[in-house]
Amino acid sequence: MMRKISAVLVVVFFGLVFSSLAINFTERQSLRPLAESYVKLVPQDLGAPNVITGILLTYRGFDTLGEVAALFMAAAAVGLLLGTSDKGRGGSPAELSERPKPSSEIVQSGAQILVPLISIFAAYIIMNGHRSAGGGFQGGAVIASSVLLLVLASPRYRVDLDFFSMTESAAGVIFVLVGIAGLIFAGGFLDSRVLPIGQFGAFISAGAIPILSVLLGVKVGCELSVIVDRFRA
Amino acid sequence: MTSGVVLVTGLALILIGMWGLLTHRNILRIVIAFSLMGTGTHIMIVATGYVTNGTAPIIDRALTLSEAPARAVDPIPSALVVTAIVIGLAVTAVMLAYAIRLYQSKKTLSIDSFTESKW
Amino acid sequence: MAEMIGSIIILLGAIFHFSAGLGIFRMPDAYTRMQAGTKASTLGNVLVLLGLAFLHPDWSLKLLLLIGFVLVTNPVSSHALARAAHVIGIPMAQETGVDALRDVRKRGRGAT
Repeated sequence: MMRKISAVLVVVFFGLVFSSLAINFTERQSLRPLAESYVKLVPQDLGAPNVITGILLTYRGFDTLGEVAALFMAAAAVGLLLGTSDKGRGGSPAELSERPKPSSEIVQSGAQILVPLISIFAAYIIMNGHRSAGGGFQGGAVIASSVLLLVLASPRYRVDLDFFSMTESAAGVIFVLVGIAGLIFAGGFLDSRVLPIGQFGAFISAGAIPILSVLLGVKVGCELSVIVDRFRA
Repeated sequence: MTSGVVLVTGLALILIGMWGLLTHRNILRIVIAFSLMGTGTHIMIVATGYVTNGTAPIIDRALTLSEAPARAVDPIPSALVVTAIVIGLAVTAVMLAYAIRLYQSKKTLSIDSFTESKW
Repeated sequence: MAEMIGSIIILLGAIFHFSAGLGIFRMPDAYTRMQAGTKASTLGNVLVLLGLAFLHPDWSLKLLLLIGFVLVTNPVSSHALARAAHVIGIPMAQETGVDALRDVRKRGRGAT
């Protein structure tokens, strides 16, 4: 009873704070100065039509590196908690046999259609990060969803953990190396002007942003796939 | 007006998630409430960046280079939320891994039975 | 005119989504909840995308592809979920009439 009353009090208090936020909210008519300078600078200096990817990979590129590190910590935590060790495995029910049961036909045929589609779509999202909506993080999450479908459809499919870990680490190292190349050859760490800017809107353009996008997508995709695979029974 | 509605929706989702977090005793429902709070926060952050009659900050046929500073929506909150969503997924995975281990140790999913950290 | 039709169809889709949520809330056991959630929300998705096609006719092909994609993925994922629930042994509601996979449950492992 005490617990419920204190829960109600907390929610009411936060409701009051939020309602004061919502009442004094007025929609902006023009961009804030920082946003306006980003919207002007990114197509001009970096040659990338997508302003958000330009911000994420060049002007705030160091924050992106930090978020990649946070993702790595989450993957390591899941690996620590659910890693296969013979001591802590007291919970698996005894009636499930060692040989994994094949999944049903609907899931198998669905997966046969869907996995190529989802993989191609993920590659498209990653490669088009600088031209229209997309980017590394989103494409990586879609790669992980295709791996999840594969794991569901064929229980005998074992994600090759060594290959994924090595790919992910290599992608991370090359990401930092491109950043250091930006430090040496261009304005600062992770400056994407190391490579020529090229024609606005073309497929190969906007400096090093496509390469950074691909590396980010590969790294995020491998990490989330490893997380998904740990949850196998 | 439009972003006011979206802002209120986001704040309402945060409040609902907070209520679920504090009231439920089943661990999986608490994890769902966390995820709900996260979604509400993302919606609220994106809603603060709206400019009246604005469109997405991507330069293509719909938004030419010269009219971009006048009509584009604020790109900074969108950039923050894009990464926040993926990290929210990873954090939910960590919470679920915790739930699995807790269930393996005590065979129950109610957090009332885990009293080792209480005073 | 096309705007009015499109808006009405989107409203219908929203009503179906709401009924999906209501169904998840009110149904007695896990299997009926999954059925309510999948069927109603898939139909709601299709209706909302159809209504959008009326409002923006030049997006029709993309929206048709999206509808096809939703129709392939939603039922497959719900089927996998329901099958996993049956294998683990989640109990059915008292009012259940027919259990199509009852002999699978009795036989235990080794069957699809």
